Amino acid sequence: MIAAVVIPAFDLRAALRLRPALEAVPAALAPLPGSEPLLGSVTAAAEAKGVRPGMRLGEALATCSELVLVEQDPATAEQAWEEVLRRLEDAGFAVEPAEAGTVYFETRGVERLYGGLEPALKRALKAVGPAWEARAGAAERRFAALAAASVARPGQALIVSDDRTRRFLAPLPLSLLPLERDRYEELEELGVRTIGQLAGLPGAAVAERLGPDGRRAWSLARGERDGRVVPRRPAEPLHETLEFPEAVGQELTLRRGLGVLVDRLLARPDRTGRPPRKLALWARLAGGASWRRTITLREPTADPARLRAALGPKLAELPAPALKLRLEVVELAEGTGEQLELVRAEGEVLQGRLKEGLRQVRAAVGAGGVATVVEVAPWSRIPEARALLVPRDD
Amino acid sequence: MVTDTGSTRTAGAARRLNAPRPALVEGHADGTPRRVNRQGVAALREEWRIVDRWWTEEPVDRRYFDLVLETGENVVVYRDGESGAWFTQRA
Repeated sequence: MIAAVVIPAFDLRAALRLRPALEAVPAALAPLPGSEPLLGSVTAAAEAKGVRPGMRLGEALATCSELVLVEQDPATAEQAWEEVLRRLEDAGFAVEPAEAGTVYFETRGVERLYGGLEPALKRALKAVGPAWEARAGAAERRFAALAAASVARPGQALIVSDDRTRRFLAPLPLSLLPLERDRYEELEELGVRTIGQLAGLPGAAVAERLGPDGRRAWSLARGERDGRVVPRRPAEPLHETLEFPEAVGQELTLRRGLGVLVDRLLARPDRTGRPPRKLALWARLAGGASWRRTITLREPTADPARLRAALGPKLAELPAPALKLRLEVVELAEGTGEQLELVRAEGEVLQGRLKEGLRQVRAAVGAGGVATVVEVAPWSRIPEARALLVPRDD
Repeated sequence: MVTDTGSTRTAGAARRLNAPRPALVEGHADGTPRRVNRQGVAALREEWRIVDRWWTEEPVDRRYFDLVLETGENVVVYRDGESGAWFTQRA
């Protein structure tokens, strides 16, 4: 069977982790700056006051004047989601994440491990953690499993057998189907409000009226086969962080900091010589917000100069000065057969000696004993604000 | 076996270079230093003031003195306008 674990409004829950008091009041995720003024996920208290996700900001504030807008924190949400996935993987579930808050896995292997389907689902919910109020569903099809998890109560695991799938799906609302907003409205205008009503329509007519997406939704509504679970390869927990004593907005300084992070990351022994294929640059901004950019390299490389060249331009996109900068390896490539140089480059012997000397200093004085001077604001009138000592452990 | 070096520094955190260190300073009535770390002041080479970041919660208000001590040593000290404490620092 296929199981789905769903955490409704995951992005909002992640943003509210540091402000749990807001969970009980009408609150909603604010739109991203520069995007259409539409609300993101909303709390149950906001929903009770008539505020719906996707509502226009003006309309929502007119509906509920005490609505609290919560700033989106995509980096924190992504980090929290990664933690959830890792906990599931640690418990033995080979997961395929669909989007933040929705994950699938095959139950066949874990059923034997945990002594049945229901205990396995309960174990998955336990691995996610009670704070997230996750729900689980299992069925022979992905969509049915997702629908079961979507209608389950927090902490509940709902299992739908294959012969009951169509009966189970029939009374459920159309909003569970992956359709565009306009399509729901179009179908509702036609008097189609439930999955069962859509499934009862002739397939050719649905395809003609709603196109390929509609045809696919119709097929899902009928409980037809919708693909297997393809588990992800667990990400490598490889990252290096640099904390600044005060917020840094200078691109030049940030680039120098990035250079240090690249060197440190490449020196990590747990990389086992494999070059990074996908990296993420993360920053904690002055004011508390976070920022994250993911970069996929055209060719995996462990060349610091090429990595700096690929990552550096992203720093110009930082919307505010950064207090903390982190470089994460999202995915490592398998060891590539790199051609070794026949003649060692000039200065390499000297570099090797220098590295060995520094290694001995570090062994004597401890981690952080060797540092690089990074100029932060050489023009500053305050002497201690001009440069930083950045530890080097490579 | 590796011996514990006793270092408590955090590996990831950057530190300030040239951070001010507390100094023992006795002053004249006009606020200029007379003795620094129990050494008499031979000459006052330069004096300047820095007022900055007054718009933040950590304003900077310092009166700097570039001094030559009786031992011939050259030091820079400043008096913090907020706390009244003295510090030594390379300018």
